[in-house]
Amino acid sequence: MCGTPRPATLIAVTTTTSPAASAVGLTKVYGSGDSRVAALDDVTVDFAAGRFTAIMGPSGSGKSTLMHCVAGLDEPTSGRVWLGDVELSALADDDLTALRRDRVGFVFQAFNLLPTLTAWENITLPLDLAGKRTDQRLADTIVRAVGLGDRLHHRPSQLSGGQQQRVACARAMVTGPDVVFADEPTGALDSRASADLLGLLRRGVDELGQTVVMVTHEPAAAAYADRVLFLADGRLVDALDAPTADRVLDRMKSLERVS
Amino acid sequence: MVRDLRAHRGRLAMTLAAIVLGVAFVVSTWVMSDSTARGVGDTDLRSDVDVVVRSPERGAVLAPADLDRLAELPGVTDADGVLAGRAALVGADGKLVPGPHDRAGTGWDDTGRFALTEGHAPGGPDEVAVHTDTGLSTGDTARVVLGDGREVRATVVGTFTFRTLGLERAPTLAWDADTALALFGRYDRIELTGHDIDVPAEDGWRVDTGAALNDEVRADAEASARSTKESLLAFAAVALLVGGFVIANTFTMLVTQRVRQFALLRAVGATRRQVRRAVLGEAAVLGIAGATIGTALGVGLGLGAVALSQDDATFAVSPLAILAGYAVGVGVTVVAAYGSARRAAAVAPVAALRTDALVPPRRRIRVGLGIALLLAGTAMVAATAGADLDTTSRVVGLAGGVVAWLGVLVLAPELAGVLRPVVRVLGRFGGPAVRLGGRNAVRDPRRTAATSSALLVGLALVCAFATLGETMVSMFGSTVRATVPESTTVLRSASGDEPLATDVLDRVRDTPGVTEAAADRYGFVEVTHAGVTSGTTVSAIEPDAFGTVLNQEVTVGTGDLDAGFVVGSNQAAMLGVGLGDEVTLDFGEETVTRPIVGLHTTTEAQPLFYLDVAAAPEWYRERVTSVYATGPDPAAARAALDAAFADRPDVRVFDREGLIEADMGEFEAVLAVMYAMFGAAVVIAVFGVVNTLALSVLERRREVGVLRAVGASRRLVRRTVRLESLVICGWGGIAGIMVGVLFGAIMQHVMLGRPLFDITVPYQVIGVSLAGMVGVGVLAAVWPARRAAHTDVLSAIASE
Repeated sequence: MCGTPRPATLIAVTTTTSPAASAVGLTKVYGSGDSRVAALDDVTVDFAAGRFTAIMGPSGSGKSTLMHCVAGLDEPTSGRVWLGDVELSALADDDLTALRRDRVGFVFQAFNLLPTLTAWENITLPLDLAGKRTDQRLADTIVRAVGLGDRLHHRPSQLSGGQQQRVACARAMVTGPDVVFADEPTGALDSRASADLLGLLRRGVDELGQTVVMVTHEPAAAAYADRVLFLADGRLVDALDAPTADRVLDRMKSLERVS
Repeated sequence: MVRDLRAHRGRLAMTLAAIVLGVAFVVSTWVMSDSTARGVGDTDLRSDVDVVVRSPERGAVLAPADLDRLAELPGVTDADGVLAGRAALVGADGKLVPGPHDRAGTGWDDTGRFALTEGHAPGGPDEVAVHTDTGLSTGDTARVVLGDGREVRATVVGTFTFRTLGLERAPTLAWDADTALALFGRYDRIELTGHDIDVPAEDGWRVDTGAALNDEVRADAEASARSTKESLLAFAAVALLVGGFVIANTFTMLVTQRVRQFALLRAVGATRRQVRRAVLGEAAVLGIAGATIGTALGVGLGLGAVALSQDDATFAVSPLAILAGYAVGVGVTVVAAYGSARRAAAVAPVAALRTDALVPPRRRIRVGLGIALLLAGTAMVAATAGADLDTTSRVVGLAGGVVAWLGVLVLAPELAGVLRPVVRVLGRFGGPAVRLGGRNAVRDPRRTAATSSALLVGLALVCAFATLGETMVSMFGSTVRATVPESTTVLRSASGDEPLATDVLDRVRDTPGVTEAAADRYGFVEVTHAGVTSGTTVSAIEPDAFGTVLNQEVTVGTGDLDAGFVVGSNQAAMLGVGLGDEVTLDFGEETVTRPIVGLHTTTEAQPLFYLDVAAAPEWYRERVTSVYATGPDPAAARAALDAAFADRPDVRVFDREGLIEADMGEFEAVLAVMYAMFGAAVVIAVFGVVNTLALSVLERRREVGVLRAVGASRRLVRRTVRLESLVICGWGGIAGIMVGVLFGAIMQHVMLGRPLFDITVPYQVIGVSLAGMVGVGVLAAVWPARRAAHTDVLSAIASE
């Protein structure tokens, strides 16, 4: 293992613009001694601005951990992470909180929304928390894209799962963040709702110029991305540009065969 | 199931605290009263006196000749005359030594009553010994004002402690026997020692054995300890009731959280009964744990209080006290958990398969019951809202208040719905913390209601008594203002309710500038009409006082005291008597039977019966409690009276407002104690708020995680929880204050016989209560808010 060249160096990506987020030598270790597990093992990666990146890999490959560390939700054991030009490891909790609020958007697998707030209030929550006024034009664009219509002032419990995830998605984009992180956003959705949601993320990238990083295990979902990164055993092992579902599936199969 | 309890350790801590406090209150009360009763029983009573001879009437009438005669009786080895007379002791600084004056002076003897602690026994007319409690010491000059107003000066030559016989108070000072006999003239009692003493009945004296008198002391001590215990237990009951709310609420939440577990149990074959018993079993375990800690704490507190309050404390922990602690702790917990147990048992097995399983609600019955109670209570109050209530309608009115209150408690979850629009408006103007916290508070109105109900009960009691108290204060004030003209000067004893020295009335009459003076002899007597006897108050007064120094409006009949009684109309209604009916007042040894000639609409701060002083028993005429005086120039009369009594520290001269102020001071002290007692219930309720918040925060872990992930700071999370707490406490506070003031209105109506809504709103207490609720809200949120703020974002979001 030690002799093999570092995968990261093999597939290093150079982008013309500076990356929206990047990590260098990112390592995350759980436990110690015999029970020591490296969820991430010296990962170096750039996420290009204005693009849609999918992270794939078998379960336990460290893809969620990678996303959490880059998003400032989790603290790496070693290595450095930049969001834009800010290095995360230097930040205290309050600054991290402000950074998450202003420069990062999140979409989780489920239960993204606060049940006491209406869909609209959920969408504008980050602005609300920052004490900022809603940018009406951006908000209108996003709301139209979410396609909730008159259900905008309903509580989450009155919305379908797909609608809830689209609201979460809109919330992630409303601040115009540097990066939107989506952790298995279609995990709990049927294929129709999944397609709606992924379309929404795609439009965010294409029409609003947002940067999206999505962890998924579904090749069909990954096919919406501009680029797919493959993780296995905590290492970045492969990358695929302009993916299709079939090609992603093939890579995944070969990955599983290898491991 | 007991394992479940252990799993919920953290959240049960607050519930346990509620049980512990309630039980500790009960047990410490018990221990305290047992110890006090035993303590009095064990104090240094004199057991060496065989027979005591006293006059059947009040006052000292036994002459030295009587002492000699009794000493000659066969079997008598020793006869001692005991002197006792009114004596107001004034220290060297001119200040009155606090304490009663009646029977405060006596003569020194060697019967063993006195134990010298310093100096020597008094030996001549210029020497006295004083009780150690007076604070005077040997060498001081003492001034003493006697019952007839005479002043005697003497040097303190010794201090003593005193052993009592029967229900007597220790005297304040003692002269030597000859001087005391010269001052008082007669003996108060004669004590005989010897064998087989037989006092002839010819003189009609009261003859008791010393042992019997001491038994009276013990019986009296037990009775007073019992009555103290009963009133304290009433407060403890309130604390337990509030604790019951906290417990019931906790179990509701615990059951809600475990619906699927119960459903699973039912699915694998557990009967409803088994599920119910499992929950009740948990309650019993919790109750036993709480009772054990509470009993231990209560015994400790009780004994501590006894040790602090008595020099040579006697400790008594009866098995009954411990039994009561356990019975109350387990009983309250199980009863409070019963509703939850039933609902747990009613969970359908299929709920195990559903993620949104809910505890079956019982809303309809609840609403129906609540409305029925509220309506019934209101009807009962309305039916008795009129004036001049008899005893039955007073009871009905008060019961109506309690029933309506219960109705409010039952309806509380529905009523908490009014918070929704309030929260909506708050949310519109406030920041995200206000919006989130407020909405969290109204998310489950039932839980909010149950939590704030405990606060509601505690605060409502405080406010009810504050309303009653404040109304009484203002009623007293307005009564005094209505009956005592501004021009009248009032004289009272400086030692509380005791009669004035007998010379005061005459001295007032002789004071230059005073043309009108009358005396009030106020006291408690028994009134009998048509075979029914009850207690009442009487004022024996000169008939010409009305219209000169006093204004007493007579609404029905005449104010002609020469012809009969003038009676308060409330009192007449309670007795069921009217004009012309004859009633009998029992003054102890003598009775006075007269017709009713007039009714006055008095408040109960006033004497209920006015009686012509000439018709009162002779000894009662001397018991002047207040003197009212005025003259052509009232201000000059008052100044003259001030000057005339400047050298009399035993007499206080008041103008009208001064009189009101002096009387209200004591009353407000009593109210303060009452607030403190209900405060215990409020403390327990606070534990309930902490409990609910902690549980809510735990349930909303994922939400807090999301909130933190999208950029809420820890501070904002803390503020959110604090706001939720403030809404709960604010609701409990406002509802409590409203219920309290209304109940206070009912209380004053049935107790004082005043119009229902003629109340004085206790703004001060309400203000303090509201401020207190804000404080409580902030305080209760501290710990839950910290927990919420430190939620780990990743694990909160990941947790299912």
